[in-house]
Amino acid sequence: MTGPLLEVRGLKVEIAVPGGMTRPVRGVDFSVAAGETLAIVGESGCGKSLTSLAIMGLLPRAARLAAETIALKGLSLIGLSESGWRRLRGERIAMIFQDPMTALDPCYRIGDQMAEVLRQHRPVSAEAARQRALELLTRVGISSPEQRLTQFPHQLSGGLRQRVMIAMALLCEPELIIADEPTTALDVTIQAQILHLLAEIQRDTGIGLILISHDLGVVAGVAHRIAVMYGGEIVEIGERDAILGRPLHPYTEGLMHSIPVPGETRRGETLGFIPGTVPRQTGELTRCGFLERCPYATGRSAAGPVPLREAADGRLVRCVLPLDGSGRDPAAWTRQAEGV
Amino acid sequence: MNVLEVRGATKTYDVGKTLVGAGRTLHALRGIDLAVRKGETLGLVGESGCGKSTLARLILGIEGPTSGNVTLAGKPVGGYGRLERAKLVQPVFQDPYSSLNPRMRIARIVAAPIEVRGIGTASSRRERVRAVMNAVGLPEHFTEVYPSQLSGGQRQRVAIARALVGEPEILVCDEPTSALDVSVQSQILNLLARLKRELGLTLILISHNLAVVHHLADRVAVMYLGRIVEHGPTEAIFGAPRHPYTAALLASVLSPRPGARLPEMRVGAEFPSPLAPPPGCAFHPRCPCAGEGCATIDPDETRDGPRGYRCHYPLAHA
Repeated sequence: MTGPLLEVRGLKVEIAVPGGMTRPVRGVDFSVAAGETLAIVGESGCGKSLTSLAIMGLLPRAARLAAETIALKGLSLIGLSESGWRRLRGERIAMIFQDPMTALDPCYRIGDQMAEVLRQHRPVSAEAARQRALELLTRVGISSPEQRLTQFPHQLSGGLRQRVMIAMALLCEPELIIADEPTTALDVTIQAQILHLLAEIQRDTGIGLILISHDLGVVAGVAHRIAVMYGGEIVEIGERDAILGRPLHPYTEGLMHSIPVPGETRRGETLGFIPGTVPRQTGELTRCGFLERCPYATGRSAAGPVPLREAADGRLVRCVLPLDGSGRDPAAWTRQAEGV
Repeated sequence: MNVLEVRGATKTYDVGKTLVGAGRTLHALRGIDLAVRKGETLGLVGESGCGKSTLARLILGIEGPTSGNVTLAGKPVGGYGRLERAKLVQPVFQDPYSSLNPRMRIARIVAAPIEVRGIGTASSRRERVRAVMNAVGLPEHFTEVYPSQLSGGQRQRVAIARALVGEPEILVCDEPTSALDVSVQSQILNLLARLKRELGLTLILISHNLAVVHHLADRVAVMYLGRIVEHGPTEAIFGAPRHPYTAALLASVLSPRPGARLPEMRVGAEFPSPLAPPPGCAFHPRCPCAGEGCATIDPDETRDGPRGYRCHYPLAHA
């Protein structure tokens, strides 16, 4: 048995702000196998995007990274030089961003942008680069690819631009693709098509895929495993259907109760919600990070930092409650005073 | 009685006009008919570029229609003065970070609509602000803070309080929860559902999120390239869509339940340009059901009880 494709242990990100230090990522562990899709889910400020940027070596200058392990097939990415990163990015790890309009250069034709990426990494002729670009535009389902090569990003629709982004990510046959909210900027009818494409490419090429999203609906259709992040920590990680079918961390449970689902939730019925807001991530955690917002919080939640524990089905949960799901009342999510 | 009526409204914009070039015409709305009863919530859905926000601007009187008319409480929107119109219809925008003046305290932001209309005395206005903030679930001490001190959900409550303070006939909510996190979105949906129940609000709810529209709307109008292609009671539309585009939108809703599969989308990817709407039925280039006539004959509305649709080959009743 070979090791995982990507291994991350003890990943922390700190950012100095006036009057102190914020800790948006507080020690995150996960791994991704080849051929696997791991979804990282959470709301704004939970640290999911910084986690992905850390893996790409793209953290903002002000951020300080600490980690025990960030390794791609055994190659440590910690302390990699800038030239080392440049060889790696695009070649072995590629990224697909949320908004393809800002991720593509508006001043260059699609074909030139794609060729530039390829020729950065491979000693190929301009014609060979063009052929490869054509091949990939076809692969991602773009019609009349020859014409697209000569077009500028603004001449394409949002869905087409995202397909171009995916084609660019595939140029050098990377082992890992990180897709950060790849469909958030797209219309709903396009969203499903792009997710199909990502899933299909992942199946065909056996790459590892990290899908970052705030939308549990997106995740449900694509992920094999799910990591739920809250306040810079993974609070629950495990198999997709286990987590969506029976969330064990109260935060995951609260999220699932917050989503209206046509055909399941009645019209106008009171939806569940998570009271309060995400606290500022300063200082070390001395207790459960979700305590203030949790309807199930007990004295033990405040006793100290909560470690991840393994539930019967193998998932890990950062909660002091019994991990068989007992002693909970889902009505708690709608019963609380309307939180502000 | 209908508080809002839209009859044959069109809106075009001239774009790309230069000193020498003639420019082109963008057809944002291509003939909208719509009626909203008092106390009703109408959901407007459609992809970006379908004209739903332009329709909202017409209803709010920010712009007038190119042709046709928009009637509020029995009188054309254009016939009202600015303050009169503000008494009738109020907006809630998508992004509560840009729709609140960062230099004003919450009390002033919320009071602005009644202050400019000179309603009541300073102290009665203060009382009214307190009452409406209470109604939307904002604690009293928030009157003295600035928007920057509030979270997204709290700001959206402020925007709703400001819209409600003058007791308007109609609230136009353009993507009111799209900028919010999931757990906060549900709080705003709960709030709107409660206000609707308690105050009998008339709501125009614009959203690309079908689940949100299903949750709040009594009736739904589906827009495509400046037209309403299907409308009717929410349950009927969600239960058995007749227009293939409505069916596609409904299929695209992603369920977070385990075992949920990605939907098979049978519509083409390209949303057509409103600069050059396709001839015939505007949806035909993407439509899986398109047949003879779709490319040439623009379908008229077919009425079917409380609902209507524009399609030559409608889907069967469920």
